[in-house]
Amino acid sequence: MKIDSKLIFAILLTSVSIYLVFVLNPEGPQRILFNLLTFAGIYGLSAIGLNIHFGWTGLLNFGHASFMGIGAYVTILLIPHAAGREGEVTSTGLPFILALIIGIIAAALFGLLLGLPAIRLRGDYLAIVTIAAAEIFRLLARDFESITGGVYGIISFSDALQKYRLSFIDNALENFDFSPAQAWVGLLSWVFIILTLLLLKRLNSSPWGRALRAVREDEDAVRALGKNAVWLKLQSFMLGAGIAGLAGVLLAFNYGSLETNLFIPLLTFYIWAIMILGGVGSLTGPIFGSIIFWAIISETDRVAALIFENANGQQLAGVRFVLVGILIMILMIFRPSGLLGKKEELLLDVK
Amino acid sequence: MSNNLLEVNSLKKSFGGLQAVNIDNLILRKNELTSIIGPNGAGKTTFFDLISGFQSSDNGEVIFKEKDITKSQPYQIARMGMIRTFQLTKVFDRMTVLENLLFSASSVSNDSFSRGILKLPSQKKYEKELLEKSFKLMEDLNIKHMANSYARELSGGQKKLLELARSIINDPEVLLLDEPLAGVNPKLAEDILEIIQKLAINGISIIMVEHNIEAVMKISERIVVLAEGKTIADGNAKEIRNNPEVIEAYLGKDDE
Repeated sequence: MKIDSKLIFAILLTSVSIYLVFVLNPEGPQRILFNLLTFAGIYGLSAIGLNIHFGWTGLLNFGHASFMGIGAYVTILLIPHAAGREGEVTSTGLPFILALIIGIIAAALFGLLLGLPAIRLRGDYLAIVTIAAAEIFRLLARDFESITGGVYGIISFSDALQKYRLSFIDNALENFDFSPAQAWVGLLSWVFIILTLLLLKRLNSSPWGRALRAVREDEDAVRALGKNAVWLKLQSFMLGAGIAGLAGVLLAFNYGSLETNLFIPLLTFYIWAIMILGGVGSLTGPIFGSIIFWAIISETDRVAALIFENANGQQLAGVRFVLVGILIMILMIFRPSGLLGKKEELLLDVK
Repeated sequence: MSNNLLEVNSLKKSFGGLQAVNIDNLILRKNELTSIIGPNGAGKTTFFDLISGFQSSDNGEVIFKEKDITKSQPYQIARMGMIRTFQLTKVFDRMTVLENLLFSASSVSNDSFSRGILKLPSQKKYEKELLEKSFKLMEDLNIKHMANSYARELSGGQKKLLELARSIINDPEVLLLDEPLAGVNPKLAEDILEIIQKLAINGISIIMVEHNIEAVMKISERIVVLAEGKTIADGNAKEIRNNPEVIEAYLGKDDE
């Protein structure tokens, strides 16, 4: 078997970034590591969905956060929850699994709904429409206070998922300062990543995957050869949106509360950064990209604190993002196609 | 069954004030190799766009195989058996030559999402057939050695050849070729010309837009001359060569 040097480099870099977590946090690195892996799992899953849009099909989707949001809101509104400042916990609700499936389908249908008018647009025009649609969704969710709790958000829904928590998690975390509830969400996110990747591996090597790549390369040629490019793009949009919806549900359970602020455009940009770091169009790239991204976020926090001992939290946040930007720039200069992307398929030259 | 393949009636298209296409009536017959020539801006490519569904006309109708396709989508027209190529070659750059051909050869149902998940043995068998078909075609066209090259690594001429290969892999009834020889070196141009002639002999109706006038005169059974969107001449090579209006508008005297 041929040894893939890119994969080795990705694993090496990921190991180094995890090792740095230990070096920089001598007192209690486990808590930070668990936290990092949970976020990496959720964001990585979402980036896998975005990769179907952009990496496979060439769709510039800048409204990814709204797909995550739809999934989260639909699922959580269907299970027992408490909305608003003085909301009481609703007594009825669907079983979690059923609500989750409906949430994922809702996210996919939102993709279809958004795609029907927008998908005929090309390149940057689609980007503009998706980013606007995502903001419209977020502001509408905020204003429908009677349902979504407005700025106060939704709470008290975690039980629906936590009652399925496997007992070994509580046992394993006995000696660590980390919430078993969060660990359960983190574990689930990695299980979903594996399941999703197995499905996508199948699809990527199928004629359907080949057709999406053809659409990515030249839509007119696809149409001239008798294939319905619009329908292929819509299918791609729905699949990626569904996966994002799943990630959105996990994100809400990770926080234990659901508010519209989670789904600001910055979330979309984080997912984009993760996908590009990992390698556009690569299947497993987003996982490595996500771990390294969150390691950078976590470590720059520490480094910034070490450099500026007397700085306050707000100042540190500024320094940290400068460092994040510099590190990502360095990575992109040396690996313009990301960690696992193919140089021949470098996608950043969007038409 | 009539012998008419494609019929165009009072087809009009204008961009702003410019009348790009304005054809009263044009009937193209089956199994004929027709070339469309004319000066730049005569409306040749727009004419192709209108009959292949890539642009909608302002007025008029397009009849293909006795069906009105004026409002049809490009993919619907392609599925009826009319396949076109593009003046600016459109190959799938970041896919290999083989993948370019496989995608084109693959049926619509084979490309479906559900089959992508199921991956039944029947699909594997079908894919194997596509593979054989693609390799056979590549061998015929002498591009087998490039099977695993990315299409974007090919030269301009090779891309033209790949686009042609991709268009004929499923034996279309009609082939619309938009400048198949543009930017191709003389040797390769000769090869492509030979392929086109062979396709015509095998019963594919071909409509070709081309500026290489010698090639056009050599292989066309019928030549239609467009100027400012209108047909100004229609006939065989000899008739066209001696038509004063064509000489004036296109073939040229020394007054340019």
